[in-house]
Amino acid sequence: MDASFWILQFLNAVQFSMLLFLLSIGLTVIFGLLHFINLAHGALYMLGAYIGISAAAATGSFWAALILAPLAVMLIGAVLYFTLIDRLRGAGPMNQVLVTFGLIFVFLDLVRMGWGDVALGLSAPPSLAGTSEILGVKYPAYRLFIIALGLVIMAGLWITLARTQIGAMIRASVENGAMAATLGINVGRLFFIVFCLGCVLAGLAGVVAAPVTSATTGMGISILIPTLIVVVIGGLGSLQGAIAGSLIVGFIETFGAVLLPGFAAVLAYILLAAILVLRPQGLLPARGH
Amino acid sequence: MKPKIFSLALAAAAGIGLAAPAAAETKVGLLLPYSGTYAALGNEITDGFNLALELAGRSGEFDIVREDTEVKPPVGLAKARKLVLEDEVDVIVGIVSSGVLGAVRDFIDGAQVPLIVANAGNDNATGDACSAYITRVSFSNGQVNRPMGTWLAGQGVKKVYTLAPDYAAGRQMIEAFTETYTAAGGEIVGGEYTPFGQTSDFGPYLANAKASGADAIYTFYAGGEAISFVKQYGSFGKELPLYGSGFLTSPLYVAAEGDAAVGVITSLHYVPTLDTPENKAFVEAFGAAYDRVPSEYAVHGYDAGMSLMAAIDSGASDRETIAAALPKVKYVGPRGPLEIDPATNNIVQNIYIYETVKDGDGLTQKVVGTVEAVRDAPKGCNLR
Amino acid sequence: MFRQTPARSLVLIVTLAGLAAYASAGGFFAREIVIEIAILAILAISLDVVAGFGGMVSLAHGAMMGLSAYTYAIFSVKLGWPPLPSALLGVAASGIFGTLIGWITGRTTGIFFIMATLAFGQMAYTVFFKWRWLGGDDGLGGLSRFDLGGLGIKMGNSLTFALFALVLVLAVYVAAAWVLRTAFGRTLTGIHVNEDRMRALGVNTVMHRAQALGFSALLAGVAGVLAAQHVQYISPELLVWTVSGEVLIVVILGGLGTLIGPLLGAVIFVLLKHEISGYTNHWHIVIGLLLIATVLAGGRGIYGQVEHWFSRRPPPPAGTAEAHDA
Repeated sequence: MDASFWILQFLNAVQFSMLLFLLSIGLTVIFGLLHFINLAHGALYMLGAYIGISAAAATGSFWAALILAPLAVMLIGAVLYFTLIDRLRGAGPMNQVLVTFGLIFVFLDLVRMGWGDVALGLSAPPSLAGTSEILGVKYPAYRLFIIALGLVIMAGLWITLARTQIGAMIRASVENGAMAATLGINVGRLFFIVFCLGCVLAGLAGVVAAPVTSATTGMGISILIPTLIVVVIGGLGSLQGAIAGSLIVGFIETFGAVLLPGFAAVLAYILLAAILVLRPQGLLPARGH
Repeated sequence: MKPKIFSLALAAAAGIGLAAPAAAETKVGLLLPYSGTYAALGNEITDGFNLALELAGRSGEFDIVREDTEVKPPVGLAKARKLVLEDEVDVIVGIVSSGVLGAVRDFIDGAQVPLIVANAGNDNATGDACSAYITRVSFSNGQVNRPMGTWLAGQGVKKVYTLAPDYAAGRQMIEAFTETYTAAGGEIVGGEYTPFGQTSDFGPYLANAKASGADAIYTFYAGGEAISFVKQYGSFGKELPLYGSGFLTSPLYVAAEGDAAVGVITSLHYVPTLDTPENKAFVEAFGAAYDRVPSEYAVHGYDAGMSLMAAIDSGASDRETIAAALPKVKYVGPRGPLEIDPATNNIVQNIYIYETVKDGDGLTQKVVGTVEAVRDAPKGCNLR
Repeated sequence: MFRQTPARSLVLIVTLAGLAAYASAGGFFAREIVIEIAILAILAISLDVVAGFGGMVSLAHGAMMGLSAYTYAIFSVKLGWPPLPSALLGVAASGIFGTLIGWITGRTTGIFFIMATLAFGQMAYTVFFKWRWLGGDDGLGGLSRFDLGGLGIKMGNSLTFALFALVLVLAVYVAAAWVLRTAFGRTLTGIHVNEDRMRALGVNTVMHRAQALGFSALLAGVAGVLAAQHVQYISPELLVWTVSGEVLIVVILGGLGTLIGPLLGAVIFVLLKHEISGYTNHWHIVIGLLLIATVLAGGRGIYGQVEHWFSRRPPPPAGTAEAHDA
């Protein structure tokens, strides 16, 4: 086990953390503003992967799929918003969990009808198919792309929230929605924009993850648990929480697989239970909640 | 009674079809997953089974009842009870997961209804938990992997790192390989069982394999995990040669794996590119009917249909006689010569070692070795 | 606050009698369905006790049921104990597990409580999945049913077993209803409504919630023993979180916080699933749409909705429920 082995595992941990961040950030963004637990996030992620695979097949380009799939998922999200989500805004968290859980089942079967039961895959674009030299080790170029994309999204969201007008409006609405409304902020429209953003992020995660994993009809349900663990550990609804949660889970899982392989299956659960016992609201909960 | 030897596939492909006996309808229960993780396999097996009956022109002789196990053991058992007690089927065909097989085993044995296993590979099902009423026409986990150990050691590969999902099938496959590989002088320098169904990043394990000083990786993964594993193996630049159980690069999934699968050498009981008249006819007929290349799962279904028809042709007509006739089945099918071992009721068949190679834009399978008539030792089972 | 209204008693008796009649008159599969309904109903009633009256939505109920089933198997199959003490130990193990989860997660609420129960449930699932001595993911067979041969009752008969399962449903319902009507049950609802006030009144809310989850787990344990004896084979799939998710759907469909609703939910869920799977392999979409429709209709569930319709009228004297809206 020389230095290059640990560098490689470090990169694996960072890459997995960024993947988890991309998977969970959409959920966090929506919860942070709307206080809405959108379990359909898993279904939107699945749609992102499947639509991405079809788009790549139709256009012959991964990059086209990377743009088209999140937009398509956003459209589906917009339809959901006007048919269901908007009505549920004041309906309490339990009802939101249940309706969006029902949506997972609905989309599960819709995907089975549309794409069949056989697991599908998506190839990384040719320019990212090989390996690159970094920190003295050979590392898959596509994994470096995931790391870079994760960092870009992190920075973009942070700048948007901290430095732009819409970010200020969002922060104001999170702190006190009624007050923000009296100040002339169109909270309803803001909610819609944020919901669409969450959907775009879910769809993006689906396409980006597809070349690393595979698209299966069960992915919408199986992804729920890891993403919920990430956001709950970090603290629901805060960007910092999602970043912290992703890094903690990514590093624990990767180095757990290396150092404690017998416990790899339960490490995330032990971590989740321990944090909830010690800090019942997660590590970095959103303010005003 | 003399075993009836014939080649139905040939006759069927020629469009002749054997003369249908005027016997009463046989009621068949198809007990397969049609929803849940293994729905794709349930559909493949069903298509293969139906094709066997259609090609023989004998669909009319069989009354088929389909039941969905949802891959859940209690559901599988409830549906098995329904098929046996309420629908009063003469024979049950199917079962994809070993868990469901374990759940129905005692009931099937006690109810004395013949069950033709068309997938589930648990060694014990034709080992210490074998039954005169359970006949397997698919494979056993050990059967598929044992030949590979000897073969790989013979290729001069001396040190291997093993990887498989952490569940019974994963362990049985790796253990069977390890047994013959070390007996032939190979050394297992390390290995890991990864959390089943919840491992999305194989990067850490691939780095471990490389650091172990192994010459190659030997692995078993199936379905979505196989796609993820092979693609991630490819993305790391294929630093070590990859060998494994042939489900890894099954025709059902190999297209999704893409170029990452090129050069991977695995062993399996069926490869769609086998150059035999029986297989060519089967692949053509399957393609004509369903517009795709048949997988090993489709062949399980097809051979379940073929062996059932063979049992009926030998004079069987009810539960007892079908169960007695199944172990005497012997014919040449798409996967080559096959027979049922009367000592265990498990199939005896060739195991093919094949390499996944490029073929124009797509991928195909090149057979690089054949181990004929692989038979499982009757571990704790004696039906004879 | 729980009230055992005459309407609820009537629905309970009619439903159980209907299921008994269905099992008696129907074929073998009808009996399978009745037993399946009974197991699901017990588990759903058990979940309703904590979710409906204590606001504790648990995703560990599948794990509680599975732990009880495995404990039963350890004592009866592995150690050769008779079925009855093994079953009692199974129920007790589930109760202890539930109490422990409740105590450890005592300070978490809402989604955090859901996630914490998920974590403990999945840990238990992983333990049994990997435990070779108990068959690991292959499961364990050879479980026996209660031997009531001395009373002239043959449990091997599927009709007898179905009726036995219905008796257990009744017993579990009565136990749950009784506990919810005691001071203990009223305090539980009080904690759900206003935890701070109950704490100010001197209630140790953490311990109280732990005991409530423990009681609920005892009932889930009954479902576990019943499931183990029914299939006579157990596997880790009993414990996986999606089982708990399915039970939660049943409770919501039937009516959260009504106790009788979950029984109706179980009947509808099982019958619907078998009916749909006769036509299509896509029963998930139907259940999903039904769940969405139930919540959009007010989230009261089927029984809750019916009760709501009647209660909008000026308080009807008991027994005159046949007068209804035009």
